[in-house]
Amino acid sequence: MEKGGLELEITELRLGLPGTEKMMKKRGFTEMIMTSSGSNSDQCESGVVSTGCDVEKANESPVAKSQVVGWPPVCSYRRKNSCKEVSTTRVGLGYVKVSMDGVLYLRKMDLGSSQGYDDLAFALDKLFGFHGIGVALKDGDNCEYVTIYEDKDGDWMLAGDVPWGMFIESCKRLRIMKRSDAAGFGLQPRGVDE
Amino acid sequence: MNYFPDEVVEHVFDFVTSHKDRNSISLVCKSWFKIERYSRQNVFIGNCYSINPERLLRRFPCFKSLTLKGKPHFADFNLVPHGWGGFVQPWIEALARSRVGLEELRLKRMVVTDESLELLSRSFVNFKSLVLVSCEGFSTDGLASIASNCRHLRDLDLQENEIDDHRGQWLSCFPEAYTSLVTLNFACLEGETNLVALERLVARSPNLRSLKLNRAVPLDALARLMACAPQIVDLGVGSYEDEQDSESCLKLQAAIRKCTSLRSLSGFLEAAPHCLSAFHPVCHNLTYLNLSYAAEINGSHLIRLIEHCKKLQRLWILDSIGDKGLEVVASTCKELQELRVFPTDLQGGGNTAVTEDGLVAISAGCPKLHSILYFCQQMTNAALITVAKNCPNFIRFRLCILEPHKPDHVTSQPLDEGFGAIVQACKNLKRLSVSGLLTDQVFLYIGMFATQLEMLSIAFAGDTDKGMLYVLNGCKKMRKLEIRDSPFGDTALLADVNKYVTMRSLWMSSCEVTLGGCKRLAQKAPWLNVEIINENDNNRMEENGYEGRQKVDKMYLYRTVVGTRVDAPPFVWIL
Repeated sequence: MEKGGLELEITELRLGLPGTEKMMKKRGFTEMIMTSSGSNSDQCESGVVSTGCDVEKANESPVAKSQVVGWPPVCSYRRKNSCKEVSTTRVGLGYVKVSMDGVLYLRKMDLGSSQGYDDLAFALDKLFGFHGIGVALKDGDNCEYVTIYEDKDGDWMLAGDVPWGMFIESCKRLRIMKRSDAAGFGLQPRGVDE
Repeated sequence: MNYFPDEVVEHVFDFVTSHKDRNSISLVCKSWFKIERYSRQNVFIGNCYSINPERLLRRFPCFKSLTLKGKPHFADFNLVPHGWGGFVQPWIEALARSRVGLEELRLKRMVVTDESLELLSRSFVNFKSLVLVSCEGFSTDGLASIASNCRHLRDLDLQENEIDDHRGQWLSCFPEAYTSLVTLNFACLEGETNLVALERLVARSPNLRSLKLNRAVPLDALARLMACAPQIVDLGVGSYEDEQDSESCLKLQAAIRKCTSLRSLSGFLEAAPHCLSAFHPVCHNLTYLNLSYAAEINGSHLIRLIEHCKKLQRLWILDSIGDKGLEVVASTCKELQELRVFPTDLQGGGNTAVTEDGLVAISAGCPKLHSILYFCQQMTNAALITVAKNCPNFIRFRLCILEPHKPDHVTSQPLDEGFGAIVQACKNLKRLSVSGLLTDQVFLYIGMFATQLEMLSIAFAGDTDKGMLYVLNGCKKMRKLEIRDSPFGDTALLADVNKYVTMRSLWMSSCEVTLGGCKRLAQKAPWLNVEIINENDNNRMEENGYEGRQKVDKMYLYRTVVGTRVDAPPFVWIL
């Protein structure tokens, strides 16, 4: 009785080639991406969407997939803390790792909370409880330590040369290193003021 | 039973602790209702807007523990705008005014302010336990109030909250005479931690069983903490990296060896792989291992650790473990009950770290498995059918194929048959999340076979209203249904309004439901709050005159005995 009815429905749903009927009826995921990103808005005609060319477009721009809000369903706390996110979105903003020669563990500091090199020097002093770092940044030649940073390209540069804005955008990590070790380190040349 | 004095009946009721059972008891007769009311210790409110504090206090005047949940589940994925609701303040105010002797408060997805925490800390002399999960709105100042004022605090458990870290001295606010700490979890705090205060606190907490640290606690501090607390059962390692030397590692190893009660390990927010081996000596006792934040540890190190964990019951891991790694889990962890595999790459880069093979291996190797959350790039019906045969005991089955609408990658068919096999085999299935290419067929199967299903999550699935109707008609025990980006509309929504009496809530976003349909539902069902969340333009919905046919972007409805809530923001319409 009922089971017979269900079987009919089952066959009904199976008519036609798999994939084509469904694509026609529902608002495709790819179509939604395209309309939400502002292009192809004329593809929505009386609810029927042809997704043929949409699929191609989606393959061309896989980045578009990640723009769907809340997909994949990973909770926002986990997204923020997944390391890939940390390393790609936190360059220059927020926390960078700071290591200092002779100190056993790494520290982290928020570059965004400093206003300039002076501020940074002060913050580093506080972080390590050591008064020489500030001097290192400003005077360069007169003290035991130099402050260097690794930039977006992976090169190590002396801190203090480039304008502050440029610095915080490209700084990936900081290292406070003994001047005596710095000579053989392979720092990138200063550029203009040598 | 009615011939016994009330005290005897009450004593019998003391042995009944589950909420569902106590609710059933209270329905037997007036006498039992009354006795049960006065003796209920733990109250669970799954939706804070289904009832209000005044009615709670009228019904249960003597409770000690309250659990409240606020925002709908999809709020975890940023689908609910900021300011929607879920404020705990009115609850704490009402409880503070009454004479209830609150000892425990557990909140999930609620908005908590420093003011709330301060009031909480001052109002309940015997307050013992605060558990906040996925909450927001407070800072370390609020934590300082709790630390300062709650003399008998045992548990401070902060899980995945958004906390404004003022880098203050909240840890040093615990008085010197305070020694009753059992659980301390502050892993979600972002800022610097006062290590001295922390070490002193741990040193004077002989009952400490669970300690979960944040990123700012480095390796050498961890070693000292573990040396102070060798009785620890549950440890959350913070920042686990050390670039400099292995002396810290040796100290840590020595401390770890003394922690013979350790059963649960998590954290590793940043991790130096070579130090992971320091934990090998305690692995054979571990029952819970959470490495799901340790993206910097590659598969081989993970495997080396897991090989030692023969008693593992719960494992949370990243997909970087790979299918090969899951095979190791399957052959090592014969006691495994729960597995969660999270995606490393959220951008959909296409690396096939774990596939259907890993899932099949786990199902074959772990006979006690009953809960799974599995993120993967691809799946097949054949694999799901095999999994169903291997593991008919699933209670929770959540599969997330990262690319929406993705079919069986071998046959290009929808995954209806695979999920159908799961619901048919798993007679105790209570929670299900489906993904991949799915037609109305899968919902037919779910409606037919998933008789115990209580929570169902649907995204990018189905063809017509029939799909949703199969579920609503078939799943008699459904409590929470959440649907996004699926072509279900007014017909399904309005078919059986009485269904929403037995359900806690329904969420539908980016579906085919219209404003007219929602209004008709609200009229037919005055016991429901039908909320429309409309972020774009508050007035656009009424203006153009086509409101009846205007599609609603987000609808959230829930049963309630206290009518429309008064704290809704302007972008929420309650019909």
